[in-house]
Amino acid sequence: MIIEGLIAATFAASMVVLLAPDRVAGRLAAALSLLPVVGSLYMWSRFDATGNALTGGDPAFETIVPWLELGGYTLNWHVGVDGIGLPLVVLTTILSTLAIVSAWASIDDRQSQFYGLMLFMEANLLGVFTALDFFVWFVFWEAVLLPMYFLIGVWGGPRRKYAAIKFFVYTNIASLAMFIGFIALLFGLGDSVSSLDMPAIAGALRAGELGSLYGISAGTLRAVAFVAMFLGFAVKVPVVPFHTWLPDAHVEAPSPVSVMLAGVLLKMGTYALLRFNFTMLPETATRFAVPIALVAVVSVVYGALLALAQQDLKRIVAYSSVSSMGYVILGLIAYTTYGVGGATFQMIAHGLISGLMFMSVGVMYNTTHTRMVGDMSGMADRMPVTAGIFVAGAFGYMGLPLMAGFAGEFFIFKGAFESTVHAAMPLFTAAAMFGIVIVAGYLLLAMQRTLFGSFRLETDYEVGPAPLHETVPLAVLLVTIIVLGVAPDLFFGMIQDAVDPLLDFGGELS
Amino acid sequence: MVGAFDYAPAIVLLPFLSFVLSLTAGKYLPKGGAFGGIAATAGSLILSAWVFLTVSAGNAYNETLYTWAAGVGEGTTTLTFGLLLDPLAAMMLLIVSLVALLVHVFSLGYMNDEGETGLPRYYAGLGLFTASMLGFVVADNLLMAFMFFELVGLCSYLLIGFWFREEGPPSAAKKAFLVTRFGDYFFLVGVVGVFATFGTAKFAGEAAFPVIAEEALAGGAEVTTFGFAPETWFTILGLLILGGVIGKSAQFPLHTWLPDAMEGPTPVSALIHAATMVAAGVYLVARMYGFYALSPTALGIVALVGGFTALFAATMGVVKRDIKQVLAYSTISQYGYMMLGLGAGGYVAATFHLLTHAFFKALLFLGAGAVIIAMHHDEDMWNMGGLKNRMPVTYYTFLSGSLALAGIVPFAGFWSKDEVLYEALIHGLAGSPLLLAGYAMGLVAVFFTGFYTFRMVFLTFHGEPRTETARNPHGVRWNVKGPLVVLGVLAATVGVVNMVPLHDLTGGFPPEYLHDWLAHGELSALTSEHYGELLHDYAGYTSADVASYVAGAVSLALALAGVLTAHVLYNVADPDEHTAKLGAVKTLWYNNYYQDEYQIWIAESFVLPLARLADKFDQGIVDGVVNGVSSVSLFAGNRIRRIQTGVVSNYAVLLTLGLTALLVVFGVLGGWFV
Repeated sequence: MIIEGLIAATFAASMVVLLAPDRVAGRLAAALSLLPVVGSLYMWSRFDATGNALTGGDPAFETIVPWLELGGYTLNWHVGVDGIGLPLVVLTTILSTLAIVSAWASIDDRQSQFYGLMLFMEANLLGVFTALDFFVWFVFWEAVLLPMYFLIGVWGGPRRKYAAIKFFVYTNIASLAMFIGFIALLFGLGDSVSSLDMPAIAGALRAGELGSLYGISAGTLRAVAFVAMFLGFAVKVPVVPFHTWLPDAHVEAPSPVSVMLAGVLLKMGTYALLRFNFTMLPETATRFAVPIALVAVVSVVYGALLALAQQDLKRIVAYSSVSSMGYVILGLIAYTTYGVGGATFQMIAHGLISGLMFMSVGVMYNTTHTRMVGDMSGMADRMPVTAGIFVAGAFGYMGLPLMAGFAGEFFIFKGAFESTVHAAMPLFTAAAMFGIVIVAGYLLLAMQRTLFGSFRLETDYEVGPAPLHETVPLAVLLVTIIVLGVAPDLFFGMIQDAVDPLLDFGGELS
Repeated sequence: MVGAFDYAPAIVLLPFLSFVLSLTAGKYLPKGGAFGGIAATAGSLILSAWVFLTVSAGNAYNETLYTWAAGVGEGTTTLTFGLLLDPLAAMMLLIVSLVALLVHVFSLGYMNDEGETGLPRYYAGLGLFTASMLGFVVADNLLMAFMFFELVGLCSYLLIGFWFREEGPPSAAKKAFLVTRFGDYFFLVGVVGVFATFGTAKFAGEAAFPVIAEEALAGGAEVTTFGFAPETWFTILGLLILGGVIGKSAQFPLHTWLPDAMEGPTPVSALIHAATMVAAGVYLVARMYGFYALSPTALGIVALVGGFTALFAATMGVVKRDIKQVLAYSTISQYGYMMLGLGAGGYVAATFHLLTHAFFKALLFLGAGAVIIAMHHDEDMWNMGGLKNRMPVTYYTFLSGSLALAGIVPFAGFWSKDEVLYEALIHGLAGSPLLLAGYAMGLVAVFFTGFYTFRMVFLTFHGEPRTETARNPHGVRWNVKGPLVVLGVLAATVGVVNMVPLHDLTGGFPPEYLHDWLAHGELSALTSEHYGELLHDYAGYTSADVASYVAGAVSLALALAGVLTAHVLYNVADPDEHTAKLGAVKTLWYNNYYQDEYQIWIAESFVLPLARLADKFDQGIVDGVVNGVSSVSLFAGNRIRRIQTGVVSNYAVLLTLGLTALLVVFGVLGGWFV
């Protein structure tokens, strides 16, 4: 019952905050958001799942309650976490609290609504990462979009309307494509499933029970559904060329919202890819190994090149997310323990590190009111602690060993290089790895120009160190990143346990 | 029994503690945390000495201490950290901790006494730098070595860019990290490749990757070679890892970061050049020499890169005006010799040169630091002159280091450089033109080395003072003189450990201590004896019969010729800029063969425009399509806009209504109300 408790408590918290006066909303939201943090850490400490929840494993904290009948299918309230879901749940709770605290300084308008929406989004995100029934999952999945739409559209920058609508329409169309693909599979399965239970569907698909549908052969159906779902999730990740909503959304969104967007919302895409495409249709995925690996390499290198061309610190971090998520795709298609496990680990690592980067850009923005690289220099002189944390975060992004980013990237590289899905995987891996040079290039360049040199920024007030409540979330994130970099096994053990059953999917099915 | 090996992790952890202490509490500590750093490195030195003694009793240590990522499931690799303490590592630990200790002490004079700010950050950086390098030295596998290798790179970034308020240091720091990162990219591909091939990255033990590689070549083990013949694939792996070595050890063509790195504080330069970052590259090749010894192609390339870099860098050193620049190019050149030695099969010779170079180069940098303090931070040698009588301790110790660098008997550098050249010669004559080419370049570089070293000595210390500052230099204290004296004595005497020509001439006296030290050990696969067999069996190295003292005499004569030329030209009261007579060659050398220019061109005129083009393409075409598609559905947007009032309470009401409706629908369908 703990998962229901977690989600319900977060929903309740969002309602309480929504009704609270603006004056206390920020503090109240932070205090209430500690509850899910404690809950998720308790789940981590009591975690006893084995295997993968979708392929016959035994998830932890599982509940199945028949809910209703719809068109011959049973809908269950089915939630539970395995080694893939739990790390993402922990990431969501921790990052939400820190994002809420980091918003105290910058959100000075309609606070109760802002924090209420943040908590409402958190509750839905928890649902996405724990739901094991397609219907439940899909409701949460769609419900995440609404608060995000308002958070960008109401509290965003000058072009917030454009960015919010672009985000909403783009991801909604993508959801539609994914939905159609999935439903086609469901119908193709015919009588072999009688519920929308994800483990049941995954089991049936992996057992090859897909039949033909309206004269379309099972093989074609599988390929078409795979592509439709892949495109749907690719927008969310985002994968080149479906990434253009991301920089617009990030630039317009207030920093705490960017933290959630980059830190958690992008992971919905890779999480869903893993749960649907790569778990349910493994043989189709391996058939498309070359195009998928190619998409990964292009995302890494092209995303990094785009980041190199930017002048706005937030755009730099936004494009570098495109690059980092490319690594995740590469790890997923590898179909090795280190590849898929590393991809899952990288979701956590990137969530923390991009969160840290967006947050520290936000802290500097709150003081300087600019994010343009050319406008400021020598910030390390006036804000030494923030600058120091920014440098540490940037090196984390570059994959400095003993920080979480290196662990994720190295696992992926190792797993992808030794992958056997295609003979050219070592070459794809080596090509994608070149991203580690470009990422160093643009982050070092940006740091040199903004943080170092003599202090120069035209303001009519004194630029000084950030207040404690802005620094503390940064420090907490940095410490978490280092702890996970030194001891990746805090999560990587359970991740591997959940990933391993996916790798064994027998021979050709199509 | 609790012995030295049980305390060995503390060698790494002590400087790390100093880092944490300086970073968090440096403000409140006396001297900005310097004493903590001195205590920590002294502790590391004492423990290193203990480890050294234990290893000399014939013990070795090769244990996994920490599981970084445990492989779950069948056949999944477990990634670990561990300690490998053999004669090579024990020797390197002594070098690194001693130099680090002296650099900490010297910093009291160079940083504290000069009233620098930001000292906690400085000492934190030094602590982390030392800890990372020590961690690298004791690493028992390639992944751990890579991780500390990268941390060393981070520390160089932080320390080179120490004076971040100026324009130069941040740029130099960026360049140092970026250029070495480029090399590390190949290294990382190599690490991943080693895992994919052997399933392990351990340096020593039964299942070490060099051992498996040897068995695979002998036909005794099956490994994945990605469609290549094992020899070819091992050569590729070796060359990939070499990328990291070339970057960190500043070998051609990735040497360009090192002269710029002179922007950092001088004690940091001493640490980078003598014992940490630059040494890391060469040490890595020595550490996994059992792997390189299997591939004659990889060895040949190592030797050629080394020989070429030795000469290439030495020529540039000839024309520099800045005392630290001369030393920077001498570092590149000297590491070239070490690479030549390794490639030529002279494992002991190269290790020996690593040892002597660490002392004399640390000495020269600290000596230059003393001169820079005296000159009120003016580094141009043409503004100096006549400092000999005004700072005798610095002069005589600096002279000791210069004689060692130039390779004049009996100073340390003579014995080690000579042995490197000797190894290249004998293995080259036995049928390897690549090695002979390396030897020839190394030999010519000897002359240049003698010349630029003593040009520097004469310009700085001899003749008449050329400026007012040089007439009345700033004094230096014990904390500067102390480290200089220690290193000055070492630079003069440390060659005793391996006087090969003398040994051959006298028929066995004195013993070749270093040869004996590296030849035996509990871990038999890591001994020079075993490497000799591998070189013979797999790389096909044989030796021609040349007497070591003959080869030594040749290079000594060349070195003396270089020194003599410098003496004639520059050891006068008021020297001229003779290098101006070189004309266009001087311009070429002074501009470093335009190496920086082409690398900057690649970055600024190729990569950046490419990135901007990608950005234009992205905004114009990729996003243009998205916007084009969406404008078709604009009418829908108009309707959305009508309910978009911007008041969140309205949205909240809508949202709540929507959710309620949804629940009611499902409630009715699900029969909840029946």
